Amino acid sequence: MTLSETKAYTHAATTVLDGNEAAAYAAKLCRVEVIAGYPITPQTPIMEYLAKLVASGELDATLVLPEGEHSVMSVVEGASMAGARTFTATSGQGLAYMYEPYYATSTMRLPVVMCLAMREMAMPWSGWASHQDAVSVRDAGWIQLYVETVQEVLDTVIMAYRIAEHPDVLLPVNVCYDGFYVSHYATGVHLPEQEEVDRFLPPYKADHVFLDPEAPVSVNIAAMPADMMRYRRSHAQAMAQARRVIQEVDGEFGRVFGRRYGGAVEGYRLEDAETALVTMAGMTGTARVAVDQARDRGASVGLLKVRSFRPFPFKEVREALRGKRAIGVIDRNLCFGWETGVLFVELSAALAGMTPFPRIIGFVAGLGGMEVTVADLLGAAGLVQRAAAGQEVPRVTWLGVEDQVR
Amino acid sequence: MIRPRLLRKAGWMLREEPKLKHTFEEVGTREDLASPGLGACLGCAMEVSLRFALKVLGRNTILFLPAGCAVAVGTAGFGRTTGLKIPVVMPLLTQAASLPSGVKRHFLRQGIDANVVVFAGDATTADLGFASVSGAAERGENIIYICYDNEGPMNTGYQRGSTTSYMAATPTTPVGTVTRGKGQPAKDVPLIMAMHRVAYVATASIAYPYDYRAKLERAMRVKDGFVYIHLLSPCVSGWRFDSEMTMEVGRMAVESNAFPLWEADHGRLRITKRVAFPRPVKDYLQLQGRFRHLSDAEVSEIQKMANRRLRELEALTRIR
Repeated sequence: MTLSETKAYTHAATTVLDGNEAAAYAAKLCRVEVIAGYPITPQTPIMEYLAKLVASGELDATLVLPEGEHSVMSVVEGASMAGARTFTATSGQGLAYMYEPYYATSTMRLPVVMCLAMREMAMPWSGWASHQDAVSVRDAGWIQLYVETVQEVLDTVIMAYRIAEHPDVLLPVNVCYDGFYVSHYATGVHLPEQEEVDRFLPPYKADHVFLDPEAPVSVNIAAMPADMMRYRRSHAQAMAQARRVIQEVDGEFGRVFGRRYGGAVEGYRLEDAETALVTMAGMTGTARVAVDQARDRGASVGLLKVRSFRPFPFKEVREALRGKRAIGVIDRNLCFGWETGVLFVELSAALAGMTPFPRIIGFVAGLGGMEVTVADLLGAAGLVQRAAAGQEVPRVTWLGVEDQVR
Repeated sequence: MIRPRLLRKAGWMLREEPKLKHTFEEVGTREDLASPGLGACLGCAMEVSLRFALKVLGRNTILFLPAGCAVAVGTAGFGRTTGLKIPVVMPLLTQAASLPSGVKRHFLRQGIDANVVVFAGDATTADLGFASVSGAAERGENIIYICYDNEGPMNTGYQRGSTTSYMAATPTTPVGTVTRGKGQPAKDVPLIMAMHRVAYVATASIAYPYDYRAKLERAMRVKDGFVYIHLLSPCVSGWRFDSEMTMEVGRMAVESNAFPLWEADHGRLRITKRVAFPRPVKDYLQLQGRFRHLSDAEVSEIQKMANRRLRELEALTRIR
């Protein structure tokens, strides 16, 4: 079923969409005004769906199709600067190419929403899933939400505008989902009613940046050092406030639409568990199955899904993992120079000083589209159990390749 | 005494054009939208070109100034001050045309009819930001893009750029026993933009303000596509001439056909300032220190290149 055909089913409880269709449909529900995009696998279908919606008049938006991702981000930045609600999406090399305006968009405090159908970075070439592109831009001042399912893609795009446009935040948001595993996975999705979304998400009114000949101001000019310090501090504070806003918006979304995602983090069978696996995005679904199976075999293991990677929910993570004897962090990315993943490094920092301090071991999995299987994660859970029992285990294990654990 | 009318009849362009006085009375007395205290070099053509452009464009303008001399002199301001009386944005070099595209697109949605104008240097336009300029042109974005071409990134001290003239000496293409300045001819950006089939393309010079003004006013009337104006902006410090010679160098560039003034209005190309008896290019080159090393043979090579370029333009004017 194509997206425009789903219109007839809008009032039905569910329809079938893949991750990219869900992202496009969510943008439509959010009444985005200016959209820009450039094709790159696996994000490309989003723009095709949106182009179809604009062509048929179902979506009253300006669609700009520039010569590359650098200009895509710039067009969206400019439109947002002029007061538009904007949407775009990209993957991998496209994100790398737009890095310069990507940084400028967050530091201009523009509430852009961009989906990332996450993909491995070259070289060698790979168009398949990995979180490497998204985590590589973690320090560029954007909010990054990592989502697990197609439904969560749709719901999180809607939530993302509420978070981004919140006066205490005013930051752009990435909605990050695994390329192909989520972007091209078709499944049943509940579609919210347009009226419900309109009530949840009022129109965007920009009053922190404006370009008006009647009220001329200079925008983004050279800052003196002390002003730069103050400006960066306000950006950091906005990130901190975003932690609260993400939680609030998740709660309100739950009240209106009946689905909640835990805000910054979500635990699964975690409270009574002695050990935990920590995941982000798509592999979380697999990890839920692995945890169930490990529990059936008597292992005391739970799961923590980190949803908000930026801002990093260090309080929530400490809260959720307090008292665990051992923790296994599964990273679908590589932090060069640490020989492990980025989440491992950041989680270790978040838990620093906690007593009793858990054993933390790292797993690198799923790079370049490599499948992360239930067996892989059962192996990881087993290794974490051994660590909890005080046995020697490697600091980092690569899942799915030669040092596979069983 | 030789009478101006007779001289014009003989094909000589005159220093005292009758339109010149009129232009300065009309435009020169308008409100200056830039701060009087801009920190440009004495004799900077860019500063006069910008002030003049703003007088023609008026207050209903959003100006985009990518990093370069036009910003460094203080137009966009520093810290909490601004140097202009109109809204000004400082985009990345690489988004010189794409950021304003986004702004203009949303203005069109809202029915706001303001001039969205970019005033960018040649390093931004021809090199770093060229993809964004070419893309915006191809999409027909309704913005006015003005490139002030001082033939190199002057804000960093005049290094080689793709619009730097053939054989010009720069700090990164110095004259030595092995090299003789820049080894390649300049990229012909205005002609490249004309070949994008955009609504309006023109070359202009502040040394010919009436011609420049007419082109800006034409640009403001264009509502159906992209406008590109390429200004020659003689640079005292980079090109090495005395600061009182700026207009002389600008005029000599046109009179020697080193920089012909032309426009392409919706594809129809026209030379707006014909030179019946052109000066030798040597007269233009010898005004500038960056060409001091040239031999007679090298000068005549440059003369041939200028002749050929003019013939190309002439050929294009004949296409109907």
